[in-house]
Amino acid sequence: MSDIAIKVEHLSKSYLLGHNTAQPERYTALRDVIARNARNLVRTTRDMMAGKPSIQGDEVEEFWALKDVSFEIKRGETVGIIGRNGAGKSTLLKILSRITEPTTGRIIIDGHVSSLLEVGTGFHPELTGRENIYLNGAILGMVRAEIRRKFDEIVAFAEIEKFLDTPVKRYSSGMYVRLAFSVAAHLEPEILIVDEVLAVGDAAFQKKCLGKMGDVARAGRTVLFVSHQMAAVQHLCGSCILLGQGGLRY
Amino acid sequence: MKPAVDENLLVITPGLAERHYWRDLWRYRELFFVLAWRDVTVRYKQTVIGLAWALTQPLLTMLVFTIIFSKIAKLPSNGAAPYALMVYAGLLPWQLFAATLTGASNSVVGNANLISKVYFPRLIVPTAAVVVSLVDFLVSFVILVGMMLWYQFLPNWTILSLPFFIVMAFLASLGPGLWITSLNVKYRDFRYVIPFIIQFGLYVSPVGFSLTVVPEHWRLMYSINPMVGVIDGFRWAILGGESSIYLPGFLVSWILIVFFLWLGIRQFRKMEKSFADLI
Repeated sequence: MSDIAIKVEHLSKSYLLGHNTAQPERYTALRDVIARNARNLVRTTRDMMAGKPSIQGDEVEEFWALKDVSFEIKRGETVGIIGRNGAGKSTLLKILSRITEPTTGRIIIDGHVSSLLEVGTGFHPELTGRENIYLNGAILGMVRAEIRRKFDEIVAFAEIEKFLDTPVKRYSSGMYVRLAFSVAAHLEPEILIVDEVLAVGDAAFQKKCLGKMGDVARAGRTVLFVSHQMAAVQHLCGSCILLGQGGLRY
Repeated sequence: MKPAVDENLLVITPGLAERHYWRDLWRYRELFFVLAWRDVTVRYKQTVIGLAWALTQPLLTMLVFTIIFSKIAKLPSNGAAPYALMVYAGLLPWQLFAATLTGASNSVVGNANLISKVYFPRLIVPTAAVVVSLVDFLVSFVILVGMMLWYQFLPNWTILSLPFFIVMAFLASLGPGLWITSLNVKYRDFRYVIPFIIQFGLYVSPVGFSLTVVPEHWRLMYSINPMVGVIDGFRWAILGGESSIYLPGFLVSWILIVFFLWLGIRQFRKMEKSFADLI
């Protein structure tokens, strides 16, 4: 085993975008609309036969969300990923957590990965708080015995003891995110990938969350942390990766 | 560069076929149970009569079919079996097929938030959705038992083979189900195809009438619809000596079931990696 937890080599990801190139006409003639729709129909049918995804619009452009990104993260490091909106942070995390696959490049990950791209993924409004803890825990990759063991801890952390058997659709939004974060915070993976999920709840709860993340980082786990809150990043992370326009800048 | 020998080492490259696909699926079995449990629990939440909904639909369909095909069209039943019982024996697998197809095809699009935020083998989603239709199937099975008591119809040993035919019905619906599920992610047109298939198929398959009504020389051709073999098998198992299996057709059905299953799984696996981008 080497001491490198994540190794990313020349990673790129492209998406196809559709554009409407048609000039806005002074008045819309039925004739033109029919002609354009017919043209689109021909194109989409052709795409479908070729097995390509259907894209709205007249012209298709390739867009590189990530281009030639390489970096290494050592075991036990806490690394912040920052960058402007659209810099490709979320795309990078999605690829790292195997939700989408890269267009080119390769990644080697050593260890079990858990990713939190969103709190409360898979929460079902009709189910009660108790049921949702089990559901969400399983989705995040915990086994039932593990959830049962941590159950009281999760409930106490979220401060929702009283509403455990109420369907979460009747929860206030604060209670909802507290419960959601609480389940996520009790994950114990070797590598944790977190995307801007800490900004939940009131100030006191946010502080509690940051404290929890600090504990995770200190416990010797590898943490990848995306945020716009520079204070949080500075507080938690040893080093930092700056993404810009799909490329990598330190 | 070290070769990926370590079991824990995960290599992500584009277009890489999952080496541990089936092992991964097994590892996520917990999630499968939880999702199936969620779908079953949520289904009848905030309904007054709850599970009874699973009973009303087949019961009413059976009544209508019996009246139309037996009383109005005067079609013969299988041997001495009561017509209503024969219809119901065909309706059971058909309902399983319809529910599986609908449930599976909407499952991936319906769980879009999960697919785009968490990784797990995507095959879990449609298969877990299908468990709901199995539960409904078991519930509607109760009616069959009730009807047997009512008609004082005693099944013979063939009923023991029923689990085999249940599996067959299940596989017959899973194949096309998976195929349509994956296509539905890319082209939502398929959402409109499903109700049509189900409505159309109900009359094309021998649900309301016996296979013996179909002329002999057309029967093999007719068995291209895999549900023909399934329904025929169900009737043989439930009605015992009153119905016999049409073997050539039965084999044709099996071949098609296996083919569709292969096609469905292949299509699903080919597309599942891009689900998050397309959904």
